[in-house]
Amino acid sequence: MYILSLLFYASAAVAYGANFARRSERAGRLATALLAAGAVAHTFLIGMERMQIGYMPFVGTTSAVSFFVWLLALAYLYTEMSTNERAMGVFITPLLVLLQLIPTLDVPVLGARPAVLRSPLFTVHVASVLFAYASFALACMIGVTYVLLFKEIKAKHLGFFYARLPSLQVLDRMNMRAVTIGWAFLTAGVVIGVVWASQTNFRASDDPRAQAMTMMDPKIFVAFVSWGLYSFQLFARRAIGWGARRSAWLSAIGFGIVLLNFLPIGYFLTKSHNF
Amino acid sequence: MHLLLLGVSHRTAPVELREQVDFARQGVPAALAALADRASIDEAVVLSTCNRSEIYTACNDPLAAAEDLARFMADHHGVDPAALAPHYFRLVDHEAAAHLFRVAAGLDSLVVGEPQILGQVKEAYAEAAERKRTGPLLNRLFHASFTVGKRVRSQTGLGEGAVSVSYAAVSLAKKIFGDLAGLHVLILGAGEMAKLTAVHLKAQAVRRIVVASRTLQSAELLAGRIGGDAVEWRELDAALEASDIVITATGATEPVLTRPRVEAAMKKRRNRPLFLIDIALPRDVEAGAGDLEQVFLYNIDDLRAIVDENLARRAAELERAEGIVRAEVEQYAQWLRSRGAVPTVVALRARFEEIRRAELQRLDGKLAGLSPEAKARVDEITHLIVEKLLLTPTEQLKAADDPSTIVAYSDALNCLFSLTAGDTERKGHGRAATGPDEDETSDPPKTRANP
Repeated sequence: MYILSLLFYASAAVAYGANFARRSERAGRLATALLAAGAVAHTFLIGMERMQIGYMPFVGTTSAVSFFVWLLALAYLYTEMSTNERAMGVFITPLLVLLQLIPTLDVPVLGARPAVLRSPLFTVHVASVLFAYASFALACMIGVTYVLLFKEIKAKHLGFFYARLPSLQVLDRMNMRAVTIGWAFLTAGVVIGVVWASQTNFRASDDPRAQAMTMMDPKIFVAFVSWGLYSFQLFARRAIGWGARRSAWLSAIGFGIVLLNFLPIGYFLTKSHNF
Repeated sequence: MHLLLLGVSHRTAPVELREQVDFARQGVPAALAALADRASIDEAVVLSTCNRSEIYTACNDPLAAAEDLARFMADHHGVDPAALAPHYFRLVDHEAAAHLFRVAAGLDSLVVGEPQILGQVKEAYAEAAERKRTGPLLNRLFHASFTVGKRVRSQTGLGEGAVSVSYAAVSLAKKIFGDLAGLHVLILGAGEMAKLTAVHLKAQAVRRIVVASRTLQSAELLAGRIGGDAVEWRELDAALEASDIVITATGATEPVLTRPRVEAAMKKRRNRPLFLIDIALPRDVEAGAGDLEQVFLYNIDDLRAIVDENLARRAAELERAEGIVRAEVEQYAQWLRSRGAVPTVVALRARFEEIRRAELQRLDGKLAGLSPEAKARVDEITHLIVEKLLLTPTEQLKAADDPSTIVAYSDALNCLFSLTAGDTERKGHGRAATGPDEDETSDPPKTRANP
């Protein structure tokens, strides 16, 4: 079933590429339709899994990756509809395809969730953090396009991106909006995680993962680092008067850290979040 | 039926003459009404812009109709026909179609690729269609021309990029700021170029334009002309801080906006973007200012380079645009030619069917002994034979691709089978006298324009 949404995402990526390179309106409409079809297939898949196991299917990093891809697809589609701007699709869809390869190749096993996760806070915590990640992914891609366009205008060479991207102002506004939303959800997710940890006496649990729920765990530590970076970005913009280009760079770097935390740390290094 | 175009354009006539024959002066509806009285033409669309006055028509005899139209053009505008004669051009059938398609694509415009013309073509057609002055030929022609215009715009870069310095500045500003409404513009100096760019920006509904000049008097003069405010020269720093776009055009020999000065303003602006357009010679803005964060500095040479690049790019797209025009002309011409064969094909089939029925009736007595099933078989077989006989000639007729061949074939068939091909001709003439008739317009143009 994962393969179906993967195929839709991949063909959407190709169509977005054609739309961007040749500026073909028809390819653009096709791309949006394919991406929407992928998101629908993905929704169906997640819904089926939810019904099968009775809780939101995001125990384990692979399941979380799938859920993240789904959120990012929806968030991007929403952005495209609300801004009527398709240029970002060519940057977002390859990320969807790459990440969706993970659950497609290594289909997550659905089973009863570990005892420590049996809490109503589980769904809220994971969902808000993943939604924050999706916002940061959007901000990153918008930031990258900002820098590309900025360089062309500064260099007085108005070429490829000049003809295809919206204005710097629009990109900056979209970037800041995505970062603000992401920051709010990351904050909420982290706060819920902390509250949850303080409510439950994880130390007393016999689950080694629960015992590792400390600031010293790389996953938790890097999550705070990324929260600090995005907080700084918002602060620097408002209080220090950092310009839009620096914001764009911070968005790109921020998501780099998020991705690092999500995949390599999530799969190999964390002792607390490896469900 | 033939397509006929008669007109004058910026390529064939000087502006004084074009003004004299501009249909906009008396209104296009008046011209359409006057054309409706001409028996020589059946359909008409009048395209009138400042660069062209063109009449597109459908007629049976292009030579006579062209003479009639030339007379009409002179009479309607009260111009001496002899003065007009050397300047008008007339094109028939696929050449007329090619001309309209090139016009709609912006290929025949003064500034190649300009987008307004497609809208003007659409208006001209709508005006005529509303008054029921269009029929199958012009309906299909104009819808095809809209397709050409749209395809050229979306599939080539013909209309892309600014081709004048002040427009290049405006489009850059749009790429930096998005919407220009709400922006503050500062103009240093009171030169002509500064005024021109300011007028372009004003058209984008910027919030405020401030003019600063060495003497308040000249600043006030320019501000008054473009609808802005004048400020004293010593208030320059405050004005700079409040502005998003600055156009400099002073006669100063030393840079007015030095790097430290711009840097100080940017600090106060909290690095909100600042677009500096330096059109002065020698330069008004120190080059180093362009390296500052969120400062975009373009001087007149940079803008000219952009314009040149855009012009070169447009030229490179010309061939692709012409290719689109050729393809669409070919399609339209094919349709036009196949229309030429249609009456003959219809008449031929009717003739054969008539003979078949007559023979069956004549043999009715001999076939009386047959069962109803057998009779039906006979009917079917004779029908099949006729169909088989007609298949090749029909295909050959429709595939003939030059009009003279079609005419030759049609004449031969008319003569050999004594067809009543006058049918369609009569219909055509009747229509000319009574205006558009139901039969001709019953064919919905839209479905044919987008087959």
